[in-house]
Amino acid sequence: MAIFNHRFSLWILLALPAVAMLSGYARGATEAMDLLHPSGEMSARLMIIAIAISPLISVLGPRKWLQWMAARRRALGVAAFAYALLHLGFYIIDMGNVPDMIAEVLAPGIWTGWAAFILMMVPAILSNDASMRALKARWKQLQRFVYPAAILTLLHWIWVHNNLGPALVHFIPLALIVALRAFKSFPQAKQGA
Amino acid sequence: MRTLSLLSLAGAAALAAIATPASATGAIKCQAGPASSWKTQDALKAKLIKEGWQVRKTKPDGGCYEVYGTTPEGDRVEAYFHPVTLEKLYVARRGEVLFRKKGY
Repeated sequence: MAIFNHRFSLWILLALPAVAMLSGYARGATEAMDLLHPSGEMSARLMIIAIAISPLISVLGPRKWLQWMAARRRALGVAAFAYALLHLGFYIIDMGNVPDMIAEVLAPGIWTGWAAFILMMVPAILSNDASMRALKARWKQLQRFVYPAAILTLLHWIWVHNNLGPALVHFIPLALIVALRAFKSFPQAKQGA
Repeated sequence: MRTLSLLSLAGAAALAAIATPASATGAIKCQAGPASSWKTQDALKAKLIKEGWQVRKTKPDGGCYEVYGTTPEGDRVEAYFHPVTLEKLYVARRGEVLFRKKGY
């Protein structure tokens, strides 16, 4: 059982899809273009899971599995960023040159992706103990960059495919969980006052 | 109650995720008859290159031919063509629709 709880086990598990994508690309079995969707989707899913853990604890109360997840939230969040980086890497390979990338940067499906990536970078870079100690209370505020990043990720997904379905399937559950927490914490705040 | 609603939510999301095919982008559909009467993807590619396109990839999608490439104007796009007439039906740049033939 200890092996499952070792942090390296989770890291390896989180890295497996990336290994599959990169080996497919290296072997020439898949093109960068075809890896845009899987890498982006993986990033969004991990981001959603990382964001959902704490509201789920508020809504469901302390559960063993949720606490197991909460203890690993940093790894999930950093992995979400790593997949965003991989996604961007495949995009750059697919585009092949900077002028083409600049030419489409204002397309709704593209600027939202760039903006989401830049916002995600902040909590990702600060996801270490040294930053936590150095920034104290501000650290938590800076981690909240992930919320606008999530909204931009949702818009990026919708616009780049010109399709609501798959993006909403992923983000509506997260929105509902966050909304449920707001409902639940409201009466508690009243009791405290 | 909350647990129940959350569980059903998660279930619904999982179902929807399974039911949504990842590959079929399906921006438009062509009712072009049996594939035996279709022109080849190579014929489409040759026609587009002649018109000044750069073609990176072609594949059948939604009964049409879907092309990833660069237009003569230099836009990186995803475009759909009728597989029999090879007529341009739909052009989108990163999901932003640049052209859509009436009726499609």
